[in-house]
Amino acid sequence: MQGSFLCHSHWGALRQLLGLSVVRARLNKKTVWLHCMMGTMRQRSSCSPAPLLMAMPTRALMDEPIMLEARHLPPHCPITIRARMRSEDGDLWEALAHYHADGRGVVNLSRDEAQGGSYTGREPMGLFWSLLPAPGEREGLRLRKRNVETPFTVRVSLLRGHVLPPTALGCSRDARGRDTQVQEEELAAVTLERWYMAPGVRRVAIREGGVVGTLFLPPGPGPFPVVLDLWGMGGGLVEYRSALLASQGFASLALAYFGHRDIPGPLHRINVGDAYFLPRCVIGINGPMGSMNKLVDFGGKGESFQEDQKHWSYDEEGYVSFRGVSLPANIPPDHMVKIEDLRCPLLLIVGEDDLSCAAMENADKIEEGLQAAGKSHLITRLSYPGAGHLIEPPYSPNARSSLWSTRPTKLITLWGGHLGPHAYAQEHSWKKILEFLDRHLRGGS
Amino acid sequence: MSGSKPLPVVSVQPTRGLVDEKFKVTVQNLLPGEEVTLHALIHSEDGDYWEAFAHYVSDAAGEVKVAEDASVGGSYQGTEPMGLLWSMKPVPGSRTGLRLRKKDVSTPMVVQISVYRGHISRGFKETSPLACAVAERWYTAPGVRRVDIEEKGVRGTLFLPPGPGPFPGVLDMWGGGGGLVEYRSALLASHGYVSMALEYMTPKTMPSGKDSYVGHQYFETAFAVLRDHPQVCSDRVAMLGLSFGTSVALAMAVYSSLIEPSCLVCVSGSHVQPVKGSLSDVFAEINKNVHRTRYDEEKRVIWRDLLLPIPSDPTKKVDVGKIRCPLLLIVGEDDQNWPTSESAEDMKKMMKEGGNSHLLTTLSYPGAGHLIEPPYTPHFRSSNFMVAQTREKVVVLWGGETKAHSYAQEHSWQRTLAFLRQHLYKSDRSNL
Repeated sequence: MQGSFLCHSHWGALRQLLGLSVVRARLNKKTVWLHCMMGTMRQRSSCSPAPLLMAMPTRALMDEPIMLEARHLPPHCPITIRARMRSEDGDLWEALAHYHADGRGVVNLSRDEAQGGSYTGREPMGLFWSLLPAPGEREGLRLRKRNVETPFTVRVSLLRGHVLPPTALGCSRDARGRDTQVQEEELAAVTLERWYMAPGVRRVAIREGGVVGTLFLPPGPGPFPVVLDLWGMGGGLVEYRSALLASQGFASLALAYFGHRDIPGPLHRINVGDAYFLPRCVIGINGPMGSMNKLVDFGGKGESFQEDQKHWSYDEEGYVSFRGVSLPANIPPDHMVKIEDLRCPLLLIVGEDDLSCAAMENADKIEEGLQAAGKSHLITRLSYPGAGHLIEPPYSPNARSSLWSTRPTKLITLWGGHLGPHAYAQEHSWKKILEFLDRHLRGGS
Repeated sequence: MSGSKPLPVVSVQPTRGLVDEKFKVTVQNLLPGEEVTLHALIHSEDGDYWEAFAHYVSDAAGEVKVAEDASVGGSYQGTEPMGLLWSMKPVPGSRTGLRLRKKDVSTPMVVQISVYRGHISRGFKETSPLACAVAERWYTAPGVRRVDIEEKGVRGTLFLPPGPGPFPGVLDMWGGGGGLVEYRSALLASHGYVSMALEYMTPKTMPSGKDSYVGHQYFETAFAVLRDHPQVCSDRVAMLGLSFGTSVALAMAVYSSLIEPSCLVCVSGSHVQPVKGSLSDVFAEINKNVHRTRYDEEKRVIWRDLLLPIPSDPTKKVDVGKIRCPLLLIVGEDDQNWPTSESAEDMKKMMKEGGNSHLLTTLSYPGAGHLIEPPYTPHFRSSNFMVAQTREKVVVLWGGETKAHSYAQEHSWQRTLAFLRQHLYKSDRSNL
């Protein structure tokens, strides 16, 4: 610490040095530190404490709301609240919003309305679902956690005035858009940890019987109801949703079935068949009834995806949408799932701005098929305007597009979804999913 | 789909909280009107197990909400949202005279919460619960920084909140025995104060041998080290003392010409001490009365009479009529260690005579003992204690009845935080 190790007689000189360095960093505190420079150790300068930024809880699960409040501000003063974090790959993500303190000098994000920034209106968790890569970061990013045993660490700062996100040049801009040399001023900060795993949840790698996955178990002896957690054609083994489900008391097996090096067979084919899966009740999120790509049959024959490309479409930036691939008209009839054979409840979740899968059209067909078979009672459909393909657990940002592949060419794919409506879809659907699982797996009311 | 019995589940919200934050424990998917036992278990740093349990009956929806429902038996009764924590006792068969204190504040206390079928009062280890949840209880918020202080002869630990500051400061002083205790300072930093836990009654702070305690210069220097820290608002530093810490705080506030605390919080202490003496003098005075030590039926030591009767001689007590800053006095009416209620009465009289009673707020708690600490940790009526001077091991009676004492801890901590907020954050000092 500056000044800690000098003896008493050097104190005055050191205070001058301290005063100088602090003046450069904090222009608004200039008056205070000049007083200090002239004073002896006894003289007390009038010093206002910094405003306080508090959060509860400071260590939260990813699907848990966090209450953020700033106090001891001058009444009605304009401030910015900014969240910043680094992904596991080191990319910087940030979001910010503009508020005014009330008459008592308080800003409460659960109560107040943001006037601008990454979101507007009353959005208690807006700072988390509106996170975007900072300017200058790589393109096509998607915020996903690979290691679920450690938290995301987020620094939430209280900044003076209404600050705009920095330009790509790294300069700050004031509210009128003029570049300024003044660094935005951080008045207060709080550090948050956001966890996918609750304390006591156990993570078990599964590599047996040909099954490749990770099992998450809640604390306690069990027995537990189990969720089979399946992701899409992005492949690999994605654990975070299962970690969260176990934190809610469900044993959850995140299952890899495609594109994982521990599954025998070429990475670009689906090498597993029907017997790999053991369904009970089903939750479908933005999925097609069938695919051009069959699962491998018992003979071990699979197919690859070259045929798909004739249904791909491109927007003006060259981003690819796979939506056409799953239009019912483009799926061979013998590849369609025989939905009339469904025997268990089905919760169907649809993003109406899904640009990767023809979710609405497929959902329509599923509903028609079930109605024709007299099984409409089995289906519950939740449809979200403005939500895209990647409807995931809540309070993390939607990627409207992201990097899909780098070989043979670099491809960025469109998922769809606008930040606000997509955030709502994630929050609402997650609650519904947990209720559905509770009802059908635990016998809850 | 169901036809099978519902699967109960227990949840805690938040799963990771600060020690002074409330949590909500909920059991769901029971049958309506089902009898269950909720059980909490901690494995302490010292290797002991502490537990609490409570008997509940589920409502018509098959749920138990600990924050709202009444316990009908067990370690506590009635509606007690945090009862599973504060009513904990060492499990049967444990060593005696235990005290649950966290030394390492960089890790949490881990509480295992289980729900058992029926109303049971023993055999928790051998019985399989219906469901479990785990909660972490932290003394430090993320981003709080811990710094060892060894400066100008002063020893202690400094805790800083995250962010640039500047922040108000709190000089945090414990009492005799137990070494340097950091957790209260860690919590205060989690609430926005730069807090220094001061070491002053340990072998390392005794300049030359076991009888030479530190004098007033030590505390003045400690206060100055805190006040002059670059991230501390130099005119917003409070003193918070428990037991002997109160003696120090009162004496400094009245007699020191070098320091000026913004406010004082004095817990379970007394103004009775030789005026302007060092701590050695204080101990010498107390030792004169050691024959007044009493013992209860279990041979536990009661030291409260050593300072009685409250003297009328002004040289034997701090002249609190001269205090110039707000003072929050917190006392337990069942304090068996210090005569804090009698002292508080006398202080009130002296401040009235001195014309500064408007500065005094007294919180007096019936049924509370000596160790009024941050809330939601277990109460114990007595514990093992090593007398610093003689290294003798005794069992000291602190006093307090569990439920009343736990209420006192919760209420007084909230009031302490509000008092500090009022005088360190909100008050306008621009014309000082």
